Parts: sequence; C-alpha cells; structure tokens
Amino acid sequence: MSKTLNRRDFIKTSSATTVGVATIASGITLTTFAANTSDNPVTSEKRWGMLIDTNKLTEANIDGMVSACQQENGWGSEVHSTGDQKPTWVKKLKVQDKATGKITSLPLMCQHCEEPPCVDVCPTNASMKREDGIVLVDKHLCIGCRYCMMACPYDARSFVHEELTDQREHMPRGKGTVESCTLCVHKVDNNETPACVASVNSDAVIFGDLYDANSNINQTLKKVQSAQIRADLDLNTGVRYSGI
Amino acid sequence: MNIRYEETQGRSLGFYALISGLGILILAALGAVYYMEHHGHYVTGMSNRIVWGIPHVFALFLIVAASGALNVASIASVFHKKMYKPLSRLSGLVALALLAGGLMVLVLDLGRPDRLIIAMTEYNFKSIFAWNIILYNGFFVIVAVYLWMMFERRMNKFSSKAGLVAFSWRLILTTGTGSIFGFLVARQAYDAVIMAPMFIIMSFAFGLAFFILILMASYKWTERPLGDAVVDRLGNLLGVFVAAVMYFVVVKHLGSLYLAENAGVENFILFDGGVYTQLFWYGQIILGSLIPMALIYHPALKSNRSTLGLASLLVLIGGVIQLYIIIIGGQAYPLEMFPGKEILEGYGGIATYTPSLPETILGVGGIAVALIAITFLVKILPFLPESLANEVADPHHKG
Amino acid sequence: MYRLVVILMVLLVGNVFAERHADYSNLGEEASNIKASGKIFHTDGLDVIRKMHPEFLNHKRDKTHREGVRTKENSLKGCVNCHATKDKQTNQYHSINDQDQFCSTCHQKVSVSVDCFSCHRTTPRKGTK
Repeated sequence: MSKTLNRRDFIKTSSATTVGVATIASGITLTTFAANTSDNPVTSEKRWGMLIDTNKLTEANIDGMVSACQQENGWGSEVHSTGDQKPTWVKKLKVQDKATGKITSLPLMCQHCEEPPCVDVCPTNASMKREDGIVLVDKHLCIGCRYCMMACPYDARSFVHEELTDQREHMPRGKGTVESCTLCVHKVDNNETPACVASVNSDAVIFGDLYDANSNINQTLKKVQSAQIRADLDLNTGVRYSGI
Repeated sequence: MNIRYEETQGRSLGFYALISGLGILILAALGAVYYMEHHGHYVTGMSNRIVWGIPHVFALFLIVAASGALNVASIASVFHKKMYKPLSRLSGLVALALLAGGLMVLVLDLGRPDRLIIAMTEYNFKSIFAWNIILYNGFFVIVAVYLWMMFERRMNKFSSKAGLVAFSWRLILTTGTGSIFGFLVARQAYDAVIMAPMFIIMSFAFGLAFFILILMASYKWTERPLGDAVVDRLGNLLGVFVAAVMYFVVVKHLGSLYLAENAGVENFILFDGGVYTQLFWYGQIILGSLIPMALIYHPALKSNRSTLGLASLLVLIGGVIQLYIIIIGGQAYPLEMFPGKEILEGYGGIATYTPSLPETILGVGGIAVALIAITFLVKILPFLPESLANEVADPHHKG
Repeated sequence: MYRLVVILMVLLVGNVFAERHADYSNLGEEASNIKASGKIFHTDGLDVIRKMHPEFLNHKRDKTHREGVRTKENSLKGCVNCHATKDKQTNQYHSINDQDQFCSTCHQKVSVSVDCFSCHRTTPRKGTK
C-alpha cells in the first residue's frame, strides 16, 4: 500500500472521471487534521497541498487571498523597492487561451513541488523542503545568491531589496535574503489552514493532506479534473488547479 | 636553451600611475559595495525579474576568461609547444588574478556577503553553485602548485604533469560555469547542454585576449624585447578562437530556433528584442567578432601590434556584451508558464533593466583587482622572461 | 610578540567574564518581575544560559524551521518578550538589539554581532497573532 499519490495516478483518476464534475458535495475547507502536537517532527506521511478551482473563484476572492497573505506575513509595505523589486508571495494572474479566447484568473504562489528546482540549485541548503512537502527558505543559511529565483519555473520567489523592521513575530524576513509562500507553515503546524485559504472560506480553495484518503482534497482530486502548472517539468506540485 | 626570468623594476612614474589609477577604481568599487549593502539592492537596477545584473556579467566574464588565460601554459605543458613555454608563468598568474577579480565581484553582489563562511561550510552537492565553489577554490590551489613547480628548479620535472592536472581542472571548471545556466530547466533561454562547451570556447577567446593585452603592455612598458614570432602566433590563435565562438553561437541559436518552445526567446534575442537584438548584432557579432577577425587576418595588418591590441580589446568588449545578452537578455524574456495561453495580467512582458552606477563600478572594480594583482606580482616574483625576442622565443623563426 | 598575544587573550577573556555577576539595569520588564518575585526561569543556572544561548537558539531554530517543532522552550520569541523594555515616555518597546538594551550590553562589550535581528522581530508581539 503506497501512500504516495503521484502525478500519473492523478491523471489516471481524473481521466477516468467525466469532465465537468466540478461540483462536489462538501463545502468544508476547515478539515480537522490528525492531532499534530507540533512537539514532534513532521514526517513524510503527510503531504500538504492545495486545490484551487478557478471556475469558482472570483477576482475579488483572489484579491482577498493576496491581501490576507500580506496581512498574515507582513509583506507589501516596503517603502524603497519599486516595481518588480517589491516582494510578491502570491499574485493574481489573468490568462487567455490562445485558441478559445477563454480568460481565467488564478492566484499564483510557490507550488511546493515534490522535486523543487530551487532546492536542487541552492548552494547552502537554505532552500529546503520539509518532510511534509512544504518548500521553505531557511533564512539562517541564505546568502542571497538568487540562484533559486533563476531556477523557479513559477516566478514565485522574491528577494528582499531593503532593510525591514517591525516584522510579524511568526514570520522573520530580512534584507538580502530570498523569501516565498510558506503555505503559512506556522499556522499549519498549529492545525490551522493557510491565511489565503481561510480568506476564501469556500470549496473554491481546498487545503489538506494529499496522502490522506479521507481528506477533502484527496477525495476531490479523485473526482474532478485538475492540472499542475508546467506539468511537463514533472515536478509534482503540491498546489493543483482545476478549471485551467 | 635557458630562458631568464626577471622581476619588473616597478619604480617608474608609469608604474605608480598605473597602480594609483587601478587603486582608485578599486576604492570606488568598495565604496559602491558599501552603498549597495547598506541600502539593499533597491538602489541597483536589479529586481525580482532580473535577479542577476551587471555584476554577474562582469563576474562570469572574468571567471570564464580566467580559465582561458591558463591555456597558454597548457599549450606548452600539455601539447608540448616549446614556444609557449616562456609564457607559462605569466599565463598562470593572469588566470589566478582574473579569477580572484571575478570571485570578488560575485561575492560582493550577494545579498548577504557577510555570510560567505556559510557558503564555505554548508554544501548542497546537488547544486552546480556548490560545485563551482569547490572548483574555484581547487583552481587556486592547483594553479598555485603548478606555478611553484615552474618556479622551483628542483620541481621543474613535475611541471608538465601539474600542467595536465590544471588543464583538466580548468575544463571541468568552465563546464561548471556554463552549467550554471545549462541546467536551468525552467528558462527557455538557458536550458541547453551546449552552454557548457560554448562557455569553454568563450573562455579560450576571452582569456587569450586578456593575455595578449597584458603581455604586450608589460613588455612595452618595461622596454623588454618582444618578437613578432610570439605575437603573431598568439594573434592567429585568437582569430581561430573567435571564429570558434561564432560557430558555437550559430549552432546554439539555430538549435534553439528549431524548438517551437524556444522560438519566442530566440526571436526576442535575434530579431525583436530592442536593445538586446542591437547588442547581439552590432556588439557581439560585428564589434566583438567580425572586426577583430578582420584586424587579425587582414594581410596589411600582419604583425601590427596596435591593431592586434585593438582586436583583443574588441574581443573583450564583445565578450562582456555576449554575457550581458546571455544573462540579462535571458532573464528579461518572461518564463513560459502557460503553454498555449497568453498571460494578460499579473506577469509577463519584457522585464526592464538599467544597470545602476554602483553595480557597474563594482563590475569594473573586479577587472581592476585582477590587473593590480598582476602589476604587483610581476614586480615581486620573476614571472616575465627578460626577453621574448624572436631568436630567444623561437630559434627557427624566419622573420 | 608572544607576550603581546598573552596580554590580548587575558584582556579578551577578562571581558567575557567581566559581566558575569553584573546587575542588569535593562534585564527587561517580565524578566525583572520574575527576578523580583524570587522565581527562577533559567533553572540550569545563569552561567549556562549566558554561555550556551547561541547553541540553544541554533538547535531550536533548526528543529523549528526544518522539522516543524514549535515548543516554547528556547524560543527566540520568548527571549524578546521577556527581556524587552519599554520607553517610559512613549510607552513603546525598545528594540532588544538597540544600544544598551538586553542583547547589546554584552554583545557590544565582546564585539560579537547579533545576526538574529536582521530578520526577526525585535519587540514583543504585534500584528495578527
């Protein structure tokens, strides 16, 4: 019995289901997770993931996710950085299909890959993946070389271009290091959901353990058609999208 | 026949002028670093889209040139070409100095240069960068040993073996430098195995161009004889290397154009990339390749030191431009995130980058560090043969 | 030369221990309260925490960051919350690494820079949590 649910399984299961089964019964986002006392090290028995249904998500929802992330993690109020220098942990994208002209809006953040290129290239092990699949920057080891930003296929990482003060207590951030979406790891470790997921508060964004066959996210992924961005790179992302 | 090596005197007005000129550049670079590190990278032209700016261009240019500068010594020790033998010591020195300059720039552009010790103690062996740190440090050690074996008479007999090790190491080193880009699967501009061999051949050209300029300048300023035999040979070699770089550039771009996935970024660099397209055709191809080849191979300019010097300088300028196009141009073009879809909002478009003054000064400072190191060391140790006249360098030369 | 080195070493070592029994005027509000009440927070002894706190913090940081262990023990947040002082006039907390604040008194004296606060918050909690 393998607990791993890889890309191929997803494709198999989703192609077996008919297209358009987007509605799912459960509207619960706040699933109760198995007791995690946060005294014990996280293990690879879990893999945290997110499923974003772009058909259900309004643009206002996405804006709300961005500002919830800013509020929670304290980015976005930098004074000196201009334009592309500003940190962006999550952003709203609008994409149009070249053939059909269909326009889709979606939030884009760190995709928490199973095989993260940013971790492979980091010379000092600062870019790292926890056992439970959350990809983080260990700012204690980050020397600010920005190689991970070159390697990331999702433009998910930001470099802090200026000195910061008054950071959030749970989210240290500092000049000269690289940062990105942490999947609100400080909340996940306390059995809470990430801020962006909580802000939407509907089944448009589901957070949970991909490996847990009883979790909402696992069951939904078995039912609906979903996709990974840049699936061709075979990175097996933790963040999945349906509707794109 | 014995070659006599001698320190330069280093007491002339010109020597002090050179030292102070380079010293000012280095001080300016350090000032620029202080300014950038104090404020953070927002004072530079870099951003989250163009994460590596002009300092990386200079740093990689110098690192690539460094491994190439060692070739002159390798030709003597590995390929047993006697005429290059007297040039070996200088070749090793130029290689070390250029590498030191390049690494200085690379390190001082880090977000946290104060944490350099972490880069030396924490290794992720999956990272090409970590490998490069080992390769660069190893290069210093190996070339230093190689130089020692050339200097120390009792060790001379081992010098060709050491030369072979150094030659192999430098090939691996440049492969590593090229692979920094070659393994970036996410970026259409880089993801090509040909990057590594192309970097090797680029290093041949840039390193030799540096070497020719330094050799001619030091012999002119110390008023030592330097015969046409040596200069012509080096000049011809430079021409071959420049042609080889052009060949690789053509193959790389043709190969990329063939892949529909890469067509976008190729069109961008070659045809509609504005400043990058102009830099490519006018800077890299015409100024940095075609004109130098004409200057080297035109029969009327044979053995003309001034035009060879100009050709070498143009090769170097073309090299900086080539790396600018690779590094900055490759980042300016957006990532292909949604094949078959167009991104209307939130990401995409060509990222803009204007090199700021401090980062440019830092880059130039790297060259100054390399040159000042060479200027001092040829004064302290006997790197330069007292004569490279035709009859000394190549007894069979027919003028 | 040798003598010079010895003198230098003695001076250095002397500095480290000079503060050993000094009374902190800026121990921090909560810490002062604990001390006044006669309770002991650092039960291993002050010498241990003074000497070993970098190791404790580093160990804890790796546990928390890499393994998700979020216990209160040796948490940097705890240090800051307990040892921070308020400005009497403005009623605002001083940054713990400001001059003559808790961390700086010793660290300045022995010329060891504190790298924690280039990223970590320097005053007790504020914001969403």
